[in-house]
Amino acid sequence: MFNQIRLILRYRHAIRNIAVRDLKVRYSNSALGIVWSFFNPLLMTLVYTVVFTFMLRDSGVPKYPVYILAGLLPWNFFNLATLGAISAVTANSPLIGRLYFPREILPISIVASNAINFLIALVLLFAFIVIYRVPLTLYVLWLPILLLIQIILSIGVALFLSAIHVFFRDTQQIMEVLLLAWFFVTPILYPLERIREATRPFVLLLNPLAALIVNYRNILYAGAPPNLGVLAATFVEALLALIVGFAIFHRLSPAFAEEL
Amino acid sequence: MSAIIRFDHVSKKYKLHADRPRAFTQLFVRAMQGQWRAPADEFWALRDLCFEIPKGQMVGIIGPNGSGKTTALKLMSNILRPTHGQVDVRATVAGLIGLGAGFHPDLTGRENVYLNGSLMGLSRREVERRFDDIVGFAEIGDFIDVQLRRYSTGMQVRLGFGVAVNVDAEIILADEVLAVGDEAFQRKCLDRIRQLRSEGRTVIFVSHDVATVELMCDRVLVLSSGRLVEDGPTAKAVQRYHILMAARHE
Repeated sequence: MFNQIRLILRYRHAIRNIAVRDLKVRYSNSALGIVWSFFNPLLMTLVYTVVFTFMLRDSGVPKYPVYILAGLLPWNFFNLATLGAISAVTANSPLIGRLYFPREILPISIVASNAINFLIALVLLFAFIVIYRVPLTLYVLWLPILLLIQIILSIGVALFLSAIHVFFRDTQQIMEVLLLAWFFVTPILYPLERIREATRPFVLLLNPLAALIVNYRNILYAGAPPNLGVLAATFVEALLALIVGFAIFHRLSPAFAEEL
Repeated sequence: MSAIIRFDHVSKKYKLHADRPRAFTQLFVRAMQGQWRAPADEFWALRDLCFEIPKGQMVGIIGPNGSGKTTALKLMSNILRPTHGQVDVRATVAGLIGLGAGFHPDLTGRENVYLNGSLMGLSRREVERRFDDIVGFAEIGDFIDVQLRRYSTGMQVRLGFGVAVNVDAEIILADEVLAVGDEAFQRKCLDRIRQLRSEGRTVIFVSHDVATVELMCDRVLVLSSGRLVEDGPTAKAVQRYHILMAARHE
């Protein structure tokens, strides 16, 4: 297992190259290029703001666009990284049948390119923070830690799903539905406080995305410290996801070349 | 001399599971019917292969279609794992098996060279150092900064070959590499392979073109239906191959 990790690290240049390929193809195939990174979350923010502060009775959340972006952008990162990674192995079958390299780098690169995309989109969030005069505190320095935990979690899920998809080709369709459900049980469009008080601890403990988004909002929107207990639990969950995802991938990957 | 490639009683079985559930929905239906696993059809691509290849040898592998040549190469490059037995390869392998594999149509030739090189384990600097050799060999010229989708098939193949012969791997696996490319380029490829060989690299050369194999190799393995039927000096092995093919046609 440690040998495999060392091998993956030796292929870091390949991870970077595949991630860059992914971003280049994504951006240069559309005339607006990198603008799309901003455009999609911007439009969604507009829609949610109109719906939740004008059409429905006011949600009572001040500076709603900042609030929604602080939840939506991390969610988009997770959603796009996992959905993209599902086909990371199957889409590269010509490579796998002809070249030996640690297969793990395929889903890992997809998570990497979406992490870069997330960082670009964060510029939009900070622009809204300035426009709405949300006071930034030093707690914002927790951002790299949150990002790291989310990357660990995403890689774990990505490894698991991309390996399973080789054998069961409807993983994509199943996950599209599951991720939509996941989106609605995560406090993204609504505050955590709207969830029944007795249910809240379960949501924070069982849904690492909820825990992450609550903490992103603490540091970026509320100017408050992260909830360290919740964060520690999420970190452990993310590590577990990584270990399980890695172990399953490692077990299934020798059969990839035959299966594809 | 010690063996750089060693096959120890290697067998490879493929499962032709036309009947295996390929989707969760299918699995669910099967479970409802109470039949989890349908018996899989099996196919032995290689049976009980034993040979050793010392460093620096140029070995040809010949045999009729479906005799297991490509499977043997894929085992050498660790793309496949053996069902039984052991494959020992004590060196870096450049997969010539996939000429141009790993190329992306939307990226330029340059970007593709870096991507392909890194998939063979090279760092950015290592690719940089070889870049001129690769492009020079492939005779790509100014097209190097053009998207690959605008390349002719020949250009793509030449670029793939250029990367594979320049990555400094100790073992070169050449699977029907001469099937594409014009005569001049074929000669260039053979010259390059000979040069690599004179530098002490080990070359495994798979081809249907027996004349070229005779010209290039010191030793030839003949495969038939997954078994090693001959392993020896080129002339003797090729003779055996001709007898084998003649018997097939009767």
